[in-house]
Amino acid sequence: MGLRKILDNMEHHFHEGGRYQKWYALFEAVDTIFYSPGSVTKSSAHVRDGVDLKRIMITVWFCSFPAMFYGMYNLGFQANDVIAATGAEVGGWRGSLIAAFGGYDPASIWDCFWFGALYFLPIYFVTFVVGGFWEVLFAMKRGHEVNEGFFVTSILFALTCPPDIPLWQVALGISFGVVIGKEVFGGTGKNFLNPALTGRAFLYFAYPASMSGDAVWTAVDGYTGATPLSVAAAQGMTAVQEQWTWMDAFLGSIPGSIGETSTLAILMGGAVLLLMRIAAWRIVAGVFLGMVALSTLLNFAGSDSNPAFAMPWYWHLVTGGFAFGMMFMATDPVSAAMTNGGKWAFGILIGVMTVLIRVMNPAFPEGIMLAILFGNIFAPLMDHFVVQANIKRRLARVQ
Amino acid sequence: MSSNDGIKKTLIVAFSLCIVCSVVVSTAAVVLKPVQEVNKTLDRKRNILAAAGMLEQGVSVETQFEQVESRIVDLRTGKFTDEVDPKTFDARKAAKDPSMSETLSAEADIAKIKRRGDYAEVYLVSSASGDLEKIILPVHGYGLWSTLYGYMALESDLNTVIGLGFAEHGETPGLGGEVDNPSWKAKWPGKKVYKDGEVELGLIKGTVDPSSANAAWQVDGLSGATLTSNGVSNLVQFWLGEQGYQPFIENLKAGEA
Amino acid sequence: MSEVKETLTQPILRNNPIALQILGICSALAVTTSLQVTVVMCIALTSVTAFSNLFISIIRKHIPGSIRIIVQMTVIASLVIVVDQVLKAYAYEISKQLSVFVGLIITNCIVMGRAEAYAMKNPPIPSFLDGIGNGLGYSVVLLVVGFFRELFGAGKLFGYQVLPVVTEGGWYNPNGLMLLAPSAFFLIGLFIWALRSWDKSQVEAPDYKIAKHTAVEEAA
Repeated sequence: MGLRKILDNMEHHFHEGGRYQKWYALFEAVDTIFYSPGSVTKSSAHVRDGVDLKRIMITVWFCSFPAMFYGMYNLGFQANDVIAATGAEVGGWRGSLIAAFGGYDPASIWDCFWFGALYFLPIYFVTFVVGGFWEVLFAMKRGHEVNEGFFVTSILFALTCPPDIPLWQVALGISFGVVIGKEVFGGTGKNFLNPALTGRAFLYFAYPASMSGDAVWTAVDGYTGATPLSVAAAQGMTAVQEQWTWMDAFLGSIPGSIGETSTLAILMGGAVLLLMRIAAWRIVAGVFLGMVALSTLLNFAGSDSNPAFAMPWYWHLVTGGFAFGMMFMATDPVSAAMTNGGKWAFGILIGVMTVLIRVMNPAFPEGIMLAILFGNIFAPLMDHFVVQANIKRRLARVQ
Repeated sequence: MSSNDGIKKTLIVAFSLCIVCSVVVSTAAVVLKPVQEVNKTLDRKRNILAAAGMLEQGVSVETQFEQVESRIVDLRTGKFTDEVDPKTFDARKAAKDPSMSETLSAEADIAKIKRRGDYAEVYLVSSASGDLEKIILPVHGYGLWSTLYGYMALESDLNTVIGLGFAEHGETPGLGGEVDNPSWKAKWPGKKVYKDGEVELGLIKGTVDPSSANAAWQVDGLSGATLTSNGVSNLVQFWLGEQGYQPFIENLKAGEA
Repeated sequence: MSEVKETLTQPILRNNPIALQILGICSALAVTTSLQVTVVMCIALTSVTAFSNLFISIIRKHIPGSIRIIVQMTVIASLVIVVDQVLKAYAYEISKQLSVFVGLIITNCIVMGRAEAYAMKNPPIPSFLDGIGNGLGYSVVLLVVGFFRELFGAGKLFGYQVLPVVTEGGWYNPNGLMLLAPSAFFLIGLFIWALRSWDKSQVEAPDYKIAKHTAVEEAA
């Protein structure tokens, strides 16, 4: 118990009147990573469970790892594929590190993975340091705890970035997400929007050239390659199927945001979340059903001028950020609906809105991000109506 | 206050206030109307000159515009007409007026403007000897969010572009709004319109490869604004094509306009 | 004299119509993409507020209570039309950019609010000053918002390039969100945050307080 002792010896410095009183939030954060919190619930409503907010958040963080590791490999694979074909070069520090420890062979798993890591890790590092700075600053100023919610926010934010994104934009995006998306409302638990998506949406509207279009999905300068989703929106399904099979998209060897390409890897992490009941299955099912229902309806409706109408639901599922949004973003317990009825409505709204934006809006090929933020805004209202209906029903029974 | 609330007092106050206010408002409108009209025409002239690359700083727009002659073209026949007076002609009103415009069929309406006016006001710049130097054609079409109104200026060969400028649009700032960017506009001069009698000029995705055989008919697309780029291509295609000024341009070349 | 000063300066920061009363947000979102336009809008609104206050105060003793709102509206609307006509005549470029928003001053709650809340009860001169003061309060917020939106959205101030942008060979990558209306919401929010950190009396009392539900465990 050496560590416990060290922490205990330090603790009095951080209490009121101590030398480092201001830094208590940071101390508390470190302490509770290693040991269970030193405070217990005293009010009467009481659930005995080994899982608390911290453990939940850490679990979500781990569950995103399959998508993250596959994302790094795929980032490298996509880039190396292009490099092998065009002979483009990677300069700067990345170039020297690749030359030192890897190569540019698209067939080599290590080469691809190493290439991807050199792009993803800086993004994640910047996200973590900048976002963490705001988190700790607000915790100190406002006197609340730093919590592991930020682990989740940071990884989800980093995984939704396109590979080519400049790092200063990463810093700006996560700052906006954490400060405006969460802290101004009082921190974790009081934010009504998903902070990672808020940050991403900020970047999407502020720097559309770095967040959308065709030039950002492959980490090779000057190379433009559209994602399957934007090909489907612009040219239709036949053009997509000429380039990729459904299996490609399901396994994830397509260009796209770092962690969003492999539906399989996302479903692996998602399955754990569902089994542990961290992600609400009602939300996931709602998003899925909403998407299937509207896309099927549009398939039947058909359109001469808009090829995206013909996109079947199983392609909607595997392209863009749909799977990632459904499993990791929509299920965020803070910004989603809380009641069971509300969860269904919330999920269906997101599923329907995603397809609606993808297909109908000429400017945005992807819609899941905006759909989830839209759903977040309506979640409290849905809960309100579910609760009111419940009260009414039970009142009727009393009388 | 009670004395104020009588019906008589209420009516008197309401009535006199209305009189006073209407006098003030109409005086302002009448007195300022001439100045506003001048502003409006000046603004239009400035846009026309800018599209033709003739706008100079420091010289009054009126003086510069003296070298420009405006004529009305009947788009149905492709010839100049004197049926309409250019001084009173309002192209936008005319395009909505069923007696002065025609509905476009869905296939023909590539610029998505629904109706095309029968008449259009074009601007001619002639040299001192009377030869045609430049011609400026008003164009419009739908982009992503809005209708773009602009002017296209051509050289005397009626095939080479001098410039394209938009006077009015509501596209996304920073993306489609880049149609106003001087460095993008600078890509237009020198481009050709027709290839084998068809309108070939248009925007492409990405950057034009100067070594390509078609480079003279291509302009860089606006990055991140595919739909605005398509809109610009379409409006150029429409207005310089069969439905637009092409018959007129043919006639003008043959000297029959 | 101090009372005059109070009427004039209180609305600027202490009782700001936008930041404290949250009025007139609509035009604050719409016209703040460039400072030049913002300044013209501020002048237009300030003069409309000041003169509508003045005229309404002059006739306040004759306005029947039953039709007072419509009387105020008529006065305000007439002033707005005059301002709009003047702008169209003498600042055409800017009036084109302001488009309908000059006309919408009629519906700006600040103008109506001051007429109803102040001019109906006070003599003409203080009413006029109150109008100017509130116009200045509105202007302060708009100018701050306009400053950041033009600077970060286009790298310009009053149309002059301050930060050279990437598309013209510079280093600054303009923030497109700043050119969209929602950015003004964020900026006004941050402005209010800064203002309330400086003047704590403007902070509203919380609606409720969450009871602390955990206690530090005694050493086991």
